[in-house]
Parts: sequence; structure tokens; C-alpha cells
Amino acid sequence: MLGAFYSLALLGLMSPLPLMLSSASGPPQGARVFPYPTHRKVLGNGLEVVVVPFDSPGLVAHWIIVRVGSRNEIEPGHSGFAHFFEHMMFRGTQKYSEERYNAIIKQMGADSNAFTSDDLTAYHILAGSASLPQIMEIESDRFMNLHYEKEAFQKEARAVLGEYNKNFSFPESSIDEKLYDAAFQIHPYKHTTMGFLRDIEDMPNQYDYSLMFYDRYYRPEHCILLVVGDVQPEEVFTLAERSYGPWKRGSYTIRIPQEPPQTGEKQVRIDWKNPTLPYLTLGYHGPAFSVSDKDMPALDLISQLAFSETSPLYRKLVLDDQLVDSLSGGAADRRDPNLFVISARIKEPGAIAGVQAALDATLEDLKNHPVDPGRLDATKSHMKYSFQMRLDTADSVASTLAHILELTSDPEAYNELYRTYDSLSAADLQEVARKYFQKEHRTVVLLSSDKAPGNGKKP
Amino acid sequence: MTRWRTPAWVALACAVFLGMASMACSGSQRESGNNPSTSAGIDMTLLPSKNSPIIYFRILFHVGSQDDPAGKEGITALTAALLAQGGTRSLTYSEVLQTLYPMAARIDYQADKEMVVVTGQCHRDHLDRYYPILRDAVLKPRFDPADFSRLRDEAVNYLVNGLRGNDDENLGKWALQLSLYPNHPYGHVDAGTVQGLKSMTLADVQAHYRNRFTRDALDLGLAGGYPGDFVGQLKQDFTAALPEGNPSAAPLPSPKMPEGIELVAVSKPCIATAISAGFPIDVTRRDDDWYALLVANSYLGEHRTFNGVLMNELRGKRGLNYGDYSYGENFIQEGGTTFPVPNIARRQQYFSFWLRPIPHQNALFGLRGGLYYLDKLVRDGIPEDGFQQTRSFLLTYSKLWAQSLDQRLGYLQDSKFYGISDYLSEVQRRLPLLTKEQVDAAVRKHLQSKNLVVAMVTEDGSASLQTLLSGKPTPIHYESPGTPSDILGEDQLIQKFPVAVNQQHSRVITPADLFER
Repeated sequence: MLGAFYSLALLGLMSPLPLMLSSASGPPQGARVFPYPTHRKVLGNGLEVVVVPFDSPGLVAHWIIVRVGSRNEIEPGHSGFAHFFEHMMFRGTQKYSEERYNAIIKQMGADSNAFTSDDLTAYHILAGSASLPQIMEIESDRFMNLHYEKEAFQKEARAVLGEYNKNFSFPESSIDEKLYDAAFQIHPYKHTTMGFLRDIEDMPNQYDYSLMFYDRYYRPEHCILLVVGDVQPEEVFTLAERSYGPWKRGSYTIRIPQEPPQTGEKQVRIDWKNPTLPYLTLGYHGPAFSVSDKDMPALDLISQLAFSETSPLYRKLVLDDQLVDSLSGGAADRRDPNLFVISARIKEPGAIAGVQAALDATLEDLKNHPVDPGRLDATKSHMKYSFQMRLDTADSVASTLAHILELTSDPEAYNELYRTYDSLSAADLQEVARKYFQKEHRTVVLLSSDKAPGNGKKP
Repeated sequence: MTRWRTPAWVALACAVFLGMASMACSGSQRESGNNPSTSAGIDMTLLPSKNSPIIYFRILFHVGSQDDPAGKEGITALTAALLAQGGTRSLTYSEVLQTLYPMAARIDYQADKEMVVVTGQCHRDHLDRYYPILRDAVLKPRFDPADFSRLRDEAVNYLVNGLRGNDDENLGKWALQLSLYPNHPYGHVDAGTVQGLKSMTLADVQAHYRNRFTRDALDLGLAGGYPGDFVGQLKQDFTAALPEGNPSAAPLPSPKMPEGIELVAVSKPCIATAISAGFPIDVTRRDDDWYALLVANSYLGEHRTFNGVLMNELRGKRGLNYGDYSYGENFIQEGGTTFPVPNIARRQQYFSFWLRPIPHQNALFGLRGGLYYLDKLVRDGIPEDGFQQTRSFLLTYSKLWAQSLDQRLGYLQDSKFYGISDYLSEVQRRLPLLTKEQVDAAVRKHLQSKNLVVAMVTEDGSASLQTLLSGKPTPIHYESPGTPSDILGEDQLIQKFPVAVNQQHSRVITPADLFER
């Protein structure tokens, strides 16, 4: 036996997470699924500051969440702008040029990046906690004093086009684009976060609009500062006040168009240029995110019960009949009503109709029959353990918390959400299924190619 | 834009960061590429953490796609898939999923050239229920014909419809790797070839499992909050169940160095050109020069950061594309992070750079740009400030590579493969001792810009080849004015940077020409 025993003490690893689940038969109802104490303060300028001390020796995750995403792109010709602007935020200020900013990040040995979605833009840095004052200094500076020339703006516009180009070879990108475009008439969820290609191509001409965009949204009342890691809350609040306190409020308010109800089924066909298996996607209009209303939490449970690896549908289509090699279904957490999207990649073009019939039958079954109570309990257990087991590092805690803070501003919201899950019955799920899975509220997208050289079935 | 990052399922632990001390390791250290027979017992890598509520398994076998018999390419990866996603003798795969579901426990796998790893994780509440399933998945696999059919279909579809059809960046990366290793055990995709998979039978897989997934090929990794007496049980179970014997990994032939620029142009409908270029290098983590190249490569093109020369020059100053990076070894990104996955260690490595899709009209300028900045590094060396900054960066950034116990466990297993005590500690120990001169010497010794395989996935490969052969400049086309004069001046050098294409060794192909056999 050749054994290698590595001591954590030698590695400097400290004792980790106080995960609260401790029942061999499933987590107890009412347990705090997000177990870490949180500290919240709102600065005078409206900036929310949330601090979560976490046992990550010497390490801190610094996140700024801006409540601006493609949902805010209500003006024609500017789809994709929130994402584009995320790129521009790395172009420097008069105090810290782009090169100087990057050099500081490099000197810290930090991991730094950003992302944009429908409802938010987030900027995150993972670094040594000793660097936190400097992180606050350079981050607050770019949020208050971003400065870039037109030439840099135009260069970055082409990097965004490059991002579109890299995504373009994937069928899923095209499906998303067409599905949302068809399903929504006036709400900005009509376009993806990347935006329409025609708008991306026009971005180099939108320099003046970008200055207005920054002035509108990069204001403290739209932002949350989240710090997770080896920190003391009061010290973070003091640093935050010093760095972000001078940030001035803005005045812009936005009125998001409300989407009228869809009144008839829509169908979209995408002919793919390259070989592919067919993708069948159904998008049903669903609810906005809420931790207390039962609709979205019920749909989360339905997502697991009907479309996860343990669902009867998965067993039939993927494992037994082997007609599908990828199956998913679920609703995204969004501020405004979004879609519950079901997607199947089908191994034989001749099976498309049969797969759609199986999807329809599953949804009808959810409407007409209560789910098995044992499976419902197993699903609730799965979701809790799954949630807690991914809270493994400072950055993953920050990433998870950023999502709910953007939606609710409430660090305790996950605990309320999981209490809501616990409270839901099979009858609740049946009622919600009846409410949302209506044919006239759905858009069906079929992507396929006549160039498929082989489907991989029965080689 | 990045999506919401889904934290890797394989992780729970405290972060390793500034407190990480250098460590003294004991125990097994494999010779690189040589799997010693350990007739008494099994090789284990243990990383206990009493307070961790999660337990992690990395059941690593020293067998990889290099061991796929000719005509059965993909058999190692498919065997691993059948262990992780194919049920046990007592439970169908569906029953395995149903049993693991309330625990949110998982069994997964990863397959590469020289190793496969079955990974598992569970909450310690569930170890008693979880472990027998994981154990039986590896030691008593079901090998159900239906699972074999399903997983083989997946592999074929990955090649035929995934890589060939709809993933241009990975198509380019694999076109590069296959062209770097012709007639070499590394010379096919780990998932296999279309014909190799189609010719495979379940009996083939079962025989491969018996012959290659042996006790002597095993490195049984365990981390987290497992009880003290669990190790003994684990050792007993695996020792008793697995057969002895593992044919040592065959010596690898020396890969052929490219002669000039060997272009592999893959023509297909696409709106931009994906480029990967590289050449074999005779350096791995076990070599002194590796640590110098680590600094040089990070300076040139650290993966998905704004630190590298390539990223700043090609994307930042010219807006060519979304990103430009370089690598001193095989690199696979872990989920939505910017860090590499562990357990893809290899005896032979290659240097490469990756230019993300560039509009066709600027693609050849981009290629010349990649070569130009590589050439500049080789010719001029790393600037002193670049050396200092990059070394400082890596000394802290490398501590982020293994933030979780699970990742840390994987790194320790890889360190054994390379015959070093602990790679992450080696980085901490060696980098402060490095000098700019050592970095420059290692760059001059191992890197160059004249002899590379260049894989391009593009709309018209013939036109690309002809343009390069003509020797004509390939200027960049800016769509807006205002590019600073110093950049325009350097553009003049880049657009005519010599690209000595070896016509005889270059080819224009279609995706259907790849991965077939």
C-alpha cells in the first residue's frame, strides 16, 4: 500500500463550512438553508452594502451588482447595450488608466471579471483580503469616474461582435435569440443579453448614447456592494463609506413596457446550416420571480419533478427509448414575467413528433394528476442539499447571494424561498401547472438541419 | 458576457489562499509515465478535513485514450462513462439516479490522454448510503447493453454533430491536437473516432475494463470529512475487488516537430475564423524549465485575463475578437471559472495559442499577430517589469487554482504523476528564486515562432492557404478611424510578418475529414 497523507494544517487550510443539514432522512423543514450570518447597511447615497464573513483565510470576494441588464434596453436600436457597457467599464479612468487598472489587478494576483444578464450586470474580484482597501479604491473610482475616448469605445464594440461570433456556432444561441424574439412583443426580454446582431454591428456609432447610459444607471441607488470572505463587517462598512460614499445619486427612472398576454401558439422553424441533431424547444409564459408567491417556487419544483434525470420523462426519452440525448425544463428567475423553457435534443428527426407528444403528455399529467408525495419530498431534499453543497468557497457564496440580492435586496431571501418550497403541496403544483402550461401561451421552436450526416443512433 | 456561474458540483472546502504553507509530503510518488506495480495494496491520496461536511472521491486510473487499441478509439472514455453513468450489478442506472437524488450526491467522470477519473461527492450524512453505490459503480459495473448503446450514441454525436457541426472553437483545438500527434497515441479525440466507436462492442469494453482498470493502475483519492475508519474499508474493498496488473504505459514516440507553418484549414459555414496554433514541447511540470515557462506564458497569454500581451494587443488595442490566450500545457477550463481542471496530466505537452473567432477579413492578420507577439517574446525576452509583475501575479493567483478540497486533491494526484511532491507548493518555492535571465533562456530553448501547426476553422480554407502562400501582406481592416499611430505602425510589421507555409504539410479539409477513423 502506498498511501499519501496530506495534512490540512500544513496546507494552511482551515475548518470550513458550517453546513446545517444534518438529517440522514433529509434536511429538516425550516432549517436555514443559507446558514451564514449577513450584515447589511444602506449608505446615504442609496448604495446597499452586504457583508458575509466567511471562513476563507486571507481571501475576499468583492462584488458590485448593478441592476441594469438587457431588461433596461427599451429604446430601439440599443439591444445588447448593457452587456457592451460592461466591457467599457474596463477601459479606465483619468486616475487609473486601463493599463494601470490591469496592472493593479495583476499585482494583486486577483481573479477579476464581469457578466451581464437580463436584469443585472455584476463585477467581481477574488483576491487576498489585505487588498480590499485597494480594490474598493479602484472599483469605486471606475464606478464614479469612468472615462474613455471614442476610439477605445469603437475598438471594444468590435470585441463585443467577437463575443457574438464565438457564440454563433452553437445552435442554442440561435434558439434563444429566436424564441424570445417570437414570444415577446414589447417587453425588452424580447432580445437576448447579447442583443440583436444589427444593433451589435451599429454599436461603434453609439458613443454619445454610452455616456448617457453610464449617467443613468451607474448610480449608487441601482447598485449593491457585496463582500464575502475573511473580513470584519464594520471594517468593510467603513471602507465602503470612504470609497463609495461620495458617489452621487442619479435621477433616471425607467418604465418597462408590460407584455400583454399571448393569445395563440407561435411556431418558429430554424434551418441550421451545419450538421446538427434537431432541437425542440417550448417556451411558456411564466411568472416573475418571487420568494413568497407560490408560482415560481412551484415551477422550480416542477422543473425537477418533470425534467430532471430522475423524472419519468427522462427515463422514457433518454434512458429507455433513447430518442433524446439532452432534456431540460425550467424557468429563469427574473424581475418581470419570463418564460418556462423546455428543451429536448432529439436523436432521430423522425422522432420529433413523438417527443413533442411526450412533452405535451407530461404537462397534461402535471395538470391532471397530483405528483407523487414521495417524489415531492425527495425533490425538496435534493434542492436543499444541492444548494448547500455548492456554497463551498467565498466566491461561490458571493455568486449565489448576488443573484438573490439583485432580485430582492434581502440576504435572508433564500431562507424564505426554501420555506416556501417546504410549504408547497402536490395540489399547489397542479394548480400552477394548470395556470401556466397552456398551449396558447407557448412558442415552439424547432431547429434542424438537412445536412446531418448521421444521428448517432444505433451506430 | 458570461452566464451566471454555476459553482462546480465537485467542491466543498475552505479556500486555500495566503495561508498556504509549503508542505512536506510523504507517500507514493509515481514516476512520470511509469505506473509501478504495487502488488501489496493500492495507491491512495488522502486529504482529510474533519470539519468538512462533504466527502470527495477522485478514483483515478492511469489509463487513457493513449491506451485505446487501434480501431477501438474511444474505448477508455466509454468504459469510464459506463462506470459513472451506467448503473451497478444491483441497480440500473435509473435506480442509481433515483437513489442519489434526495442526497444531491453525484457520480461523474473525466477522461483524458493518460488518466480517467471517476469523481464523486456526498454530504457526510449520506456516506453510508452513497458509498456502496459509488463502490459498485466502479467495482461492479452493470455493463448493460442499453447503457452501452446510449453512451456510445452520445460519444458519436459529440464528434459528428457537436465538434464537426456546432463548436468551432473546440473543432479548431482538436484539429490542432490531432495534427500535432499523427501516428501517435495522443492522435485522436479522447471520446474516440466515429468508426472506432461504431465498431466497438460491449464485450470489448468489458475486456478493456478487466485489463486496464486494475488495482495497480489506481490512485484512490479521498478528501473531506470522512470518518477515520473509512479509509481502511475503502482500501479493503478496492484491493479485494480489482485485479492486479497493469501493462505499463507504452513509451511514447517523440512527436514530430512541425516544419515551417503547417496549415490545417477546416472549411465550413461560419461567420468568423477560429484559430489554434502550437507545437510540441519537451517540458512538463516535473522540469525546472517549466516554472520559467509558466511565467513566460502567463506574460504572453494568461487564460481569460487581461494580463497577457496577446489579449491586450489583439483584443484590447485592435478589437479583433473576444479573447486571445496562450498555454504551456494542455488546458481545460473548469466550468465557468478561469482555472484549469485537474487530472489531465500528460507525459508530453505542447505549447499553443488560441485566438477566439475573428471576422474572416481580419483572420490572417490575427494569425500573424499571434506569431508576431510570440516571436517578439522569443527574440526580446520578457521585459523586466513584465517579469516582476507576472511572477508576483502567479504567486498569488496560483493559490486560487485549487480553492476547494476536491480540486486540491486532484492537484495532489497530478503531482504524483509528475513525480513532484506538490505542484502548488513547487510554484511557491520556485518562482521567488527565478530570474528574468532564466525565463528568457527557457523561452529561447523551448519556444519559437517559425514551426507551428496552425488550425483554422474558416469559411474558405483554400483562400486562406493561397493568401498565405502568396506571401502578400494581410492588413487589418478597421471599421472606424482613430487608431493611434504607434499601433498603426506596428500593424505594418504584423501584416507582413513572415509566415513560411509548408505547402506539402498543409491541407484544406472539411469537418467530415476529421474524427472518422
